[in-house]
Amino acid sequence: MTEQHDSIILNFIVRVLLVPFIFVFGIYVLVHGEASPGGGFQAGAIVAAGLVLARLTVGSEHGERRISTRVLLWLASAGIGIYVLAGIVPLLAGANYLDYAALPVEWFNAVAGHERTNRAMGIFIVEVGIFIGVFSVLVILYDHLTERFTDD
Amino acid sequence: MRLLTAALLLPLAALLIYVSADLPDRGDPDAPANLHLSPELVEVTERDIEIPNIVTAVLADVRGYDTLGETLVVFTAGLAVLLVLMRGARPRDRGRSNER
Repeated sequence: MTEQHDSIILNFIVRVLLVPFIFVFGIYVLVHGEASPGGGFQAGAIVAAGLVLARLTVGSEHGERRISTRVLLWLASAGIGIYVLAGIVPLLAGANYLDYAALPVEWFNAVAGHERTNRAMGIFIVEVGIFIGVFSVLVILYDHLTERFTDD
Repeated sequence: MRLLTAALLLPLAALLIYVSADLPDRGDPDAPANLHLSPELVEVTERDIEIPNIVTAVLADVRGYDTLGETLVVFTAGLAVLLVLMRGARPRDRGRSNER
């Protein structure tokens, strides 16, 4: 089990400088997956790494169990669910499975004031689903890999 | 045994090095790998999807079904590891077994 470190330098660097930056960078990688290298898998891994770093530093008693495994499992399932829904909704509109062109998201162009194709927005939707799924799975793995060492 | 291994591997290495001389140059637009499907993918991305990143367009749209399977693989692997790691936990501890 990880323990809390009393070093103020470590705490400051990790909690004030590194972790917020890693989170923001992870979201950046997710949102800019359409324009630059990146996407759901990478962003999920980066944000999960930031969370693991925080938990390693502040110790398990403060850092862990803020999100319980139960919630994380629901989140992971929801991520997959977003992806599957993005596939099923076009089916209802008479198109093929995962045919984003048939997704009813044209209204979003008016809200956000840009001109993006339905397929581009479909890509972003499934990337968000991948992000949630990968992030939750990685955090679940970290939680349960560290917990075993206390029991033995 | 070592001699046999060497006798098998050395000709293979020689063959591979010999064949590699005939490979097309890196980034050659006339290479077979760049002639068959790539132009169509570039075209589809520009025309129908209109995002700058062709890799993402192929990953999430053209081969969306494949990526759905990949995500399911990650999810299933996580579930399997979770099941193995929680094997010793008592049923009532599951889900909150991180407390001491």
